[in-house]
Parts: sequence; structure tokens; C-alpha cells
Amino acid sequence: MSLSRRDMLKAQAAAVAAAAANIVIPAAAQPVAQGIGTLEIKWSKAPCRFCGTGCGVMVGVKGGKVVATHGDTLAEVNRGLNCIKGYFLSKIMYGGDRLTTPLMRKKNGVYDKNGEFTPVSWDEAFGVMADRLKAVLKAKGPTAVGMFGSGQWTIWEGYAATKLMRAGFRSNNLDPNARHCMASAAFAFMRTFGADEPMGCYDDFEAADAFVLWGSNMAEMHPILWTRLTDRRLSHPHVKVAVLSTFTHRSSDLADIPIVFKPGADLAILNYIANHIITTGRVNKDFVKNHTTFVKGVTDIGYGLRSDHPLEMKAKGTANPAATEPIDFDAYAKFVKDYTLEKVSALTGVERGFLQELAELYADPSRKVMSLWTMGCNQHVRGVWANQLIYNIHLLTGKIAEPGNSPFSLTGQPSACGTAREVGTFAHRLPADMAVANPEHRKHTEEIWHVPHGLIPPKPGYHAVEQDRMLRDGKLNFYWIQVNNNLQAAPNNTQETYPGYRNPDNFIVVSDAYPTVTALAADVILPAAMWVEKEGAYGNAERRTHFWRQLVNAPGEARSDLWQMMEFSKRFTTDEMWPAEILEANPNYRGKTLFDVLFKNGNVDRYAASEIPAEYENQESKAFGFYVQKGLFEEYATFGRGHGHDLGPFDLYHETRGLRWPVVENRETRWRYREGLDPYVKPGRGVEFYGQPDGRAKIIAVPYEPPAESPDKEYDIWLVTGRVLEHWHSGSMTMRVPELFRAFPGAVCFMHAEDARVRGINQGAEIRLASRRGEIRIRVDIRGRNRMPRGVVFVPWFDASELINKTTLDATDPISKQTDFKKCAVKITAV
Amino acid sequence: MKESELSRRTLLFGQLRSPAIYISSAVVSVLPQHLEEVEQLLSAMPEVEIHHRSPSKFVIVLEAPDSGILGARLAEISGWNGVLSANMVYEQFDEAAGHGEER
Repeated sequence: MSLSRRDMLKAQAAAVAAAAANIVIPAAAQPVAQGIGTLEIKWSKAPCRFCGTGCGVMVGVKGGKVVATHGDTLAEVNRGLNCIKGYFLSKIMYGGDRLTTPLMRKKNGVYDKNGEFTPVSWDEAFGVMADRLKAVLKAKGPTAVGMFGSGQWTIWEGYAATKLMRAGFRSNNLDPNARHCMASAAFAFMRTFGADEPMGCYDDFEAADAFVLWGSNMAEMHPILWTRLTDRRLSHPHVKVAVLSTFTHRSSDLADIPIVFKPGADLAILNYIANHIITTGRVNKDFVKNHTTFVKGVTDIGYGLRSDHPLEMKAKGTANPAATEPIDFDAYAKFVKDYTLEKVSALTGVERGFLQELAELYADPSRKVMSLWTMGCNQHVRGVWANQLIYNIHLLTGKIAEPGNSPFSLTGQPSACGTAREVGTFAHRLPADMAVANPEHRKHTEEIWHVPHGLIPPKPGYHAVEQDRMLRDGKLNFYWIQVNNNLQAAPNNTQETYPGYRNPDNFIVVSDAYPTVTALAADVILPAAMWVEKEGAYGNAERRTHFWRQLVNAPGEARSDLWQMMEFSKRFTTDEMWPAEILEANPNYRGKTLFDVLFKNGNVDRYAASEIPAEYENQESKAFGFYVQKGLFEEYATFGRGHGHDLGPFDLYHETRGLRWPVVENRETRWRYREGLDPYVKPGRGVEFYGQPDGRAKIIAVPYEPPAESPDKEYDIWLVTGRVLEHWHSGSMTMRVPELFRAFPGAVCFMHAEDARVRGINQGAEIRLASRRGEIRIRVDIRGRNRMPRGVVFVPWFDASELINKTTLDATDPISKQTDFKKCAVKITAV
Repeated sequence: MKESELSRRTLLFGQLRSPAIYISSAVVSVLPQHLEEVEQLLSAMPEVEIHHRSPSKFVIVLEAPDSGILGARLAEISGWNGVLSANMVYEQFDEAAGHGEER
């Protein structure tokens, strides 16, 4: 009997999956088969729109719409696999409430902060925005102007934003929402290695003998990388997995060493491991002698709260929390000697046996270890320390910068690395790890941008949480938010975020694809093009830069963030915006628009729009008359080439599934700092941390210090916030996919059954969850996927109808200024 | 082909379309000690076939008239006890295959 057509299709589907799972012989062809071909679907590559993993997907377009996506078998990251969120990518652009026209609050036909949202033209929206911005600049100067961007910006959007803000409006009040997720990681990289981003890459998953998850729940947040990890564990019995968290979650299922510790106590565990390595004689002495130095950090550094908060007044080390002083190995060993097994077990609530087993993974010289972490370490009032303490134990043992030995900082947004960090959209940064406070860096930047010297202001701007405080205090008055939902994401938002948006002195613009809670609190909403509605580039967690083409047009009048910024820049002249003395010294810049000097500067407009293949649209290049994305990218790439941040030529990225920088002579670098693997390491050095002037990484002595707020008699339970598998961040995309909505329709409060029982609360009951800042009503789940210890609850933040950040505390790491969303005190009562 | 589905209404609305099917394959990673339990659950799911297995993985093929149903099924599988991950690999939309077993 012959096979039916359906059976053949199924057999083919199974064969491709088996190949992706390494079960049977690989299939050579891409899984785009004749069946789909007959529907005239056009397939193109793109990176996924969601997390920082950077999976490759194939995007199918028919009739001007994205109709299908599937995992890209040629993408090294995911090898054809697609997680449940990625599976529904084709639906994220087609929510019923997509914004398609600019909206402005109006009363009696004119802008009014207390008016109703009314459709307006782009011309009217930009006109009112420009008037407001000019008025604010005239009254208060550039420090009253700010922008809040995103790790979801494409690389060129972030780059255009940094040019427009710093050189155009002369304000460093530019910060990305990546401040909420990656700032601690970025600071720790700079302080330890003098260069941002991991030395290793995802290839480490197939080379490691042990994996240690420091607070990360990869099974839900990074499912594809988790699949690579589980494959390694299950196919190699000697491999061990340790999962550390403040509660038990899906990733704990695989743990050989499951550890649940008291919130904040990870710092003590890390110092205990260092002590264990030293006292059991397992320090890699050659490595430490040749490649590291030791420093001691300032302590009692406060909690990044407002300066008049009692905790800040009490702290002694707030003046310069980032300061360090040199020490030697003996002083360091003496410092960590205090972190004994007994003491740390008591402090953390972790059994001694588990702590010893964990420490042995690192101490055993024959075991290659990959450490992985994300928000648990980063959203931490001592997040920079937590990151650095992980580097300590990898450096003490020399387990770094080679396949399988890899301290690896995961990221949460698709371009937190590529855009927020590499482009330099933080309030203190410039491209390629440079800093606004450094006069040489400013000068170099001004030269590349072809703008006069002295234009970029030297003082770092307001960071994310400070922006909210300054909006509320009326010191920041013009504020533009792009590609993020900060009113839902920001901590303590009822007290510190919302009041600033509605402050009558302020003018708030939000560019978004959907009417998020942030957009609805704004004065002007600009409809944004998203993902493959524009040509883009993202940079993932393993330094991979990945491009895509514009595949469809955005609906209605929606326009990309890039177009919005560039078009808006035409409304300002240098004579209005730049200081008279700079123009006097540089008269050839007079009478030009910001568009002329920033984007028609001989670099950005260097490439013709005709270079774009005819089969692809490119709305920005059509609008401005040159290949905008290529010009911006090539100007930006100038910063890193020859400095260890080399990006390849623009066109190469459209031909590949991404390349990991530094890309030297068109070849990517998988492991940095190791001779033979990284072209920047000088011959004979073996290992060289060339980001530091002496080529040595820093091992830091810093103690355990307690969280900003711990449970007490009244607010007697820890609140941890986070994410779930089905939804991404604030849910503005995934909550609009019906299947994902149905799979997890609303946030719940995960709670220990006994904690619920003593409060008279049953499974599924509605509760009142209150902190000193605010409260929400939410339903309780005592049987769900997260199993909580006594005294700790977990609430995900994706749900706009349950704004958990009404209750969180705006305490930040005083060094990175990143909020701690994982530790505050709440009380829970039955309703 | 179910000819009875052809109605005056479908003709009037220009919906004279063959019933289509979506065929997808997925890889389900499982803790080895839960292999049998997961296998039973998968076998009990409608329109799900196990095509290949290893000590810690299943390759399954799912079939439905709409891709949303497939995704929802995968989301459900992701949440089962003992399942480490469930990732979609391949999807094919086919009109002809919806016409029945032998054509």
C-alpha cells in the first residue's frame, strides 16, 4: 500500500525534527517544502523578536503579511528549534488594537494635557512636540530633555538615538530599559575585564562538564538554550547541574544540586566557594599570578534610593560606591576566610552538603564549569558585586575564556547587548565601551560624527529610575519613550513613575505598536513599525550581530522609531540648538538642520538606496533617499574596528545567520582573551584580558550585605517578581496572541500552601498583596509550576491588569543603578 | 473529501476552499525517569503521534486544522511534570493533504 500524502508529510516533518534533536540522520534541506511553496509564501531569515537568546527564524510572507514562521535550521543558536513564544511570532504584529495613526491629547482642537486622545497627522504631532521641546530647552536647558529607549531597538535605532540626544539636543538623559535588566552585568564586565560582554559563547553548552544556574530559570526564560543544556546533561552522565534560586521552579527538575537560598544570600555562597577553593588548595596559582590582580571594594554603599531616605542617610559608603583599592592575594584570602561552611549555611538556609557539592564543581580542576545567570544576579541591590563574585571563582581556578569554562551572563532582550550596551545608549556611555565623562572619548566620538568639539556634554545623564524621579520632581520636562512599557516595568510605579508622566509641567511622548499602559499615560502616542516591518539588526548574548530585511510594510501610518527620530530632527536648526560659541568657532555648521549635521554628514548618507535588493522594501531609505541602515551601521562600526569590537562589513551580515564580534578579516571570534582563539591576544601571552591596561582581570573582595527591605512583623513575606514561559516581559506582544493568552491568561501569586493556610486562603482565592508603596488584588496559586518555600511569594509582571510594580521598591544597585525587583517585603491578606 | 461541507453559504461568501491541515513536528525533552509517563500522556493527546524516541527525547508530529491549536498543545506539553522542554521544529500547511487518506 502506498503512503498517503499526509503520511509522507508527517514522515518528512518527523525527519527534520529528529535531525534537529540529533536523533537520526540530518536532513540537508531547509524545512520549507513544496507544500508551502505552492501557497507562494516568500521565506526570509530574521532573528526572533523576543529574548536575548537570538534564535534564527524563517519568516514567511504572503500578500504583504507575515503568515508563518519556523525555526531556522541554518541558525547555529537554535538549529531549527522554536520555543512556544517563537512559534507564535507571526501573530505579534496583528493584534486587533494595533496603533496606526499618531494620537494626541486635545481639547477644543488644540493640545491639552488633560484632553482626550485624538488622531492627528505626523506633521501636527511633530509640530507640537518640537514646540514643547524648544520651550523646555529655552527655559531649563538640555538637562530637562530626556529619552528612554530599549534593548529592543535595532542597532541603528539606538545609534540614531544616541546621536540625536547627545549631539543634537546635547543631553545625556538617554537611558535604555536595559538599565532594568543588564546594567549590573555591564558594570561588572567593565570593572573586571575592562570590556563589556561575555568571553565565551553558546558553544560552551556542548563543552561544559557542569552547569551552575545562579538564580536563572532557563527552562522558562531561555527554553532553547535550556534544551542545549539538557541535551548535554542527559547524553553525558558525568555532567552535573546545580540550580540556585530563592524558590523551586521548572529548571530545578533537572538539578543534581538543587539549592534554595534566602533572598540576597547568594553573595555569601559565592564568597564561601572562593574560601573553599583557597582552603582546599585548589587555586590555579599560575593563572592567578599571570592574569589577575586583587582589589577591595568600598562597603556599606546604600541602596540607590532617594538621597533623603533613612537607609541612604545611614550608609557610610554612598559617596563613591564604585571605588576600589588594590590588595594582594593574602589579604583577599583573609577576607573570604570569614565565609565558612557553618556560617554560610546558617545565613543562607542551605544544607551544608549541597554547598560543599556546589563548591567542589568549581574547585575540581578536571571539571569545566559554565555559570549562567540573568535577573537574579542583575536585579540585585548588590548586582555588580554578585556578577563580580562569580568572576572571582572562575578566575581563581582559571576556568574562563576556553570552551566549556565560561561565566556566562544571559540577556533578556533581543538587543540588550547589540544596541543598549554596544551602541552606548546608557546615560554614561558612548559607543564601543567609551564613556561620556572621558574627554578623549567625547573628542573621538565628535570626530567620527563630524560634529564640532565640545558638543557632547561631559556629565552623565539621569539613569532610568532617576529619570522617573526627575519627572516627578519636575526637573525633566520633555520625555520620549520608545519600544518599551516603562510604566508597567518600573519599580514603585504608583509613587515614582506615574506622577511624573502626569505632572502638568511635563510632556510625554510614547512610540509603540500597541496601546500599552505607558502609552495611555502619555500626551502623544506615535504608532511604531515593529520587527520585520523595518530593516533591522540585533546583537544577542553571545556577541552575535544578526540582520534582517524589511519584509512587510507597517499598517496605516505606523513608522519605525528610526524614521521618527530622523524625521523629527529636521525640525531643529543648529542655530536654535547649539551654543553660540561652538557655532562661532565652527561657522560652517550654521543654518543647518539637525538632520543635516547628524544624518547627512557624509557618512550616514554615503550609500545609495539602490543597493537594497529590489525584492525588499525599505521605508526609511525611500523616505530619506539613501541607504539609511547601511550608513548608520558603517559609521557606528568605525568606533569598534581595531579596538577589539570589530564588526564585519554591513553586507556580510545579510548573508549570514549572524557573526560574533570581534569579526576580524570576516571571521568571527567564539572565545575572547585566549591565544589562538582571539586575534587580539598577543602571541606568547596565553591569556590576555586586553580590556584592562595591564591585561589582568580583577578579583574583588566585597562582603555579603543585606537587601534594602526584608520582611518584618507587619510586611512579613518576601516578594520576588519575574516571568513565565508563555509571556515576554510586559506582555504587550504575547498577551495579544490568543493561544499564549489562553495558556497563561493572568498573573497569579505563587505561594506556599502553609503560608496560604495560616492566612485562611485557599487555592485560587483572591488576595490583597500590599507593600509600603502600593497594593494589588491577585489570585493565589499554591500548586502551580513554581514551588515556593515558606515566607516567599512570586508574581510575574507580564499582566497589565495586575501591576505588581505598584508594590516593588525602587532600590537599585548603587553602582549600576539597576533596580532590585527580586526582594521587597509585602503582606498578604484574604479578600 | 467531505462534500457535505460545500453549502450555498460557502459559495456565496467565496469560501470554496478545501479543508486544510497543519502538520508540525516538535522535540520534547524529558527526564529519563518520566519517559513512560510522558509517553502515555502524549499517546492520549488527539492528533499527536510519536515518531522517534531516545532515552530522553520524543520527536512528535502534531496535526490540526489551525496552527493555533498546535501551539496551544505544545504549550500544554511544556507544562507537564518531567518535561524539560518542548520546542517546535517544522510546520507545513497543506491543502491537498486535507482531502483524505488516499489521493
